[in-house]
Amino acid sequence: MRHVVDARGSFCPGPITELIKVYRKAQPGDEIELLATDPAAKSDVKAWAQKSGNEVVSIEDRGDHFAILVRVVRR
Amino acid sequence: MRPVRIAVVGGGTGGTLVANKLASELRESVKRGEVEVHLFAERPEHYFQPANLDIAFKGADPRRFVRDERELVVRGVKLHLSPVNLIDLNDRRLSFNGSSLEFDYLVIATGSRAVPEVVEGLAESSYNFHTGQEDARRTWEAVSRFERGRAVVLVNVPHKCPPSPVEAAFLLDEHLRKRGVRQNVEIVYATPYTRAYPTHTIAEVVEPLFEEKGIQLVTLFNTDYVDVRERKVRSLEGEEIKFDLLITVPPHRGAEVITASGIGDEEGWVPTDKETLRIKGYDYAFAIGDATDIPISKSGVVAHLEAIVAAKNVLADIEGTGVEYCYTGRINCPLEVGEGRALFVAGTYTKPPERQEPSRLKYLMKKFFPNVYWPMVQGKFETLFDLYLGKPYTTRGGGK
Repeated sequence: MRHVVDARGSFCPGPITELIKVYRKAQPGDEIELLATDPAAKSDVKAWAQKSGNEVVSIEDRGDHFAILVRVVRR
Repeated sequence: MRPVRIAVVGGGTGGTLVANKLASELRESVKRGEVEVHLFAERPEHYFQPANLDIAFKGADPRRFVRDERELVVRGVKLHLSPVNLIDLNDRRLSFNGSSLEFDYLVIATGSRAVPEVVEGLAESSYNFHTGQEDARRTWEAVSRFERGRAVVLVNVPHKCPPSPVEAAFLLDEHLRKRGVRQNVEIVYATPYTRAYPTHTIAEVVEPLFEEKGIQLVTLFNTDYVDVRERKVRSLEGEEIKFDLLITVPPHRGAEVITASGIGDEEGWVPTDKETLRIKGYDYAFAIGDATDIPISKSGVVAHLEAIVAAKNVLADIEGTGVEYCYTGRINCPLEVGEGRALFVAGTYTKPPERQEPSRLKYLMKKFFPNVYWPMVQGKFETLFDLYLGKPYTTRGGGK
């Protein structure tokens, strides 16, 4: 299942909150696409994925925002 | 023909202000019986919620931070001290206390609820200051007798008031120093974020202060459950932290009426356009403050500024001006760092918060705010806030 999280325009509390909200309900194998304008989201999501044992599949620069695709490996 | 009827659900910061603004702006129409403004508040007590921190960590008297809602509404607001049981957006009807009311316009301002019970073991193991004044007072009782061991400040998301967990850690540290027991206590701050504060420019200020004060930072800690018997917290990421005193910012959810009415998402947040504040799919219904699903801080200032924008849009619709008011995402949240200093987390949707150094002046501004809050929810001082914060909206359309 693919979840799209639109956190564009969110700086505080920030896109990672929106990502984790969806992650709590996700199943292994699901994909979460996070849309964000906050550039810090890229490093935040990478750090979170590394610690939680999940996978950042791609980070795409779409001009006015980023699309970060995460594959849920561990839940 | 019955009057144009505006229903506002929720008697907190946003609901009280939006009802007061509408009744004031439509004063003449209300007098002539052409418009009715109904405000539904669950209880007569209106709390100044930011003071819960002072109650929990400084032993402040809770009675200083509560007023009677009946004294806060202006002439022209029909106040119902009753919870709303169900909202039917399609039929434009709500039910309350065995009655029902048809409305033409609706503003949902039902806020958020701290729900420690949704995390296994959390409610029975922890103290918190987000569920209300009484729990803030219990936190103070626990904090003021804590002598030694490990105190853990545990952050769960989503929660209202982004600065509050960091402030809790700073004020706990300050309190323990004042009592001369700080050297016997280890303070651990566990957060789901990658840094001490979600916004990196603010984290750059907070983290050196944590280090200076000996507050240990544990990042990327998303609470899975609390082991009540072993007194330890376990994260989704597989880490464990033992505690002697657990102070938590619980996860929050939307109001029960939102879920019961089938309006919200699975956590009870109302799907809302982040600019116009209209509920998605419903032109005549708005949501403001904590109740929305907008990815912005759930805070008093957001409820306040969104109330202004929603009121302007309701007025524009009634008057048929064709103008649409769009919220800029302005935030301005005070963050107290202890020792009588504070900073403000300030920004908009397009301008992220910039680094700010804590100062005495900002602390004094924060402490003075309760005096301004009560007139503010009555709709006073708007010009003053416009000067200080800038207009919280842009406009589009118009000319009809």
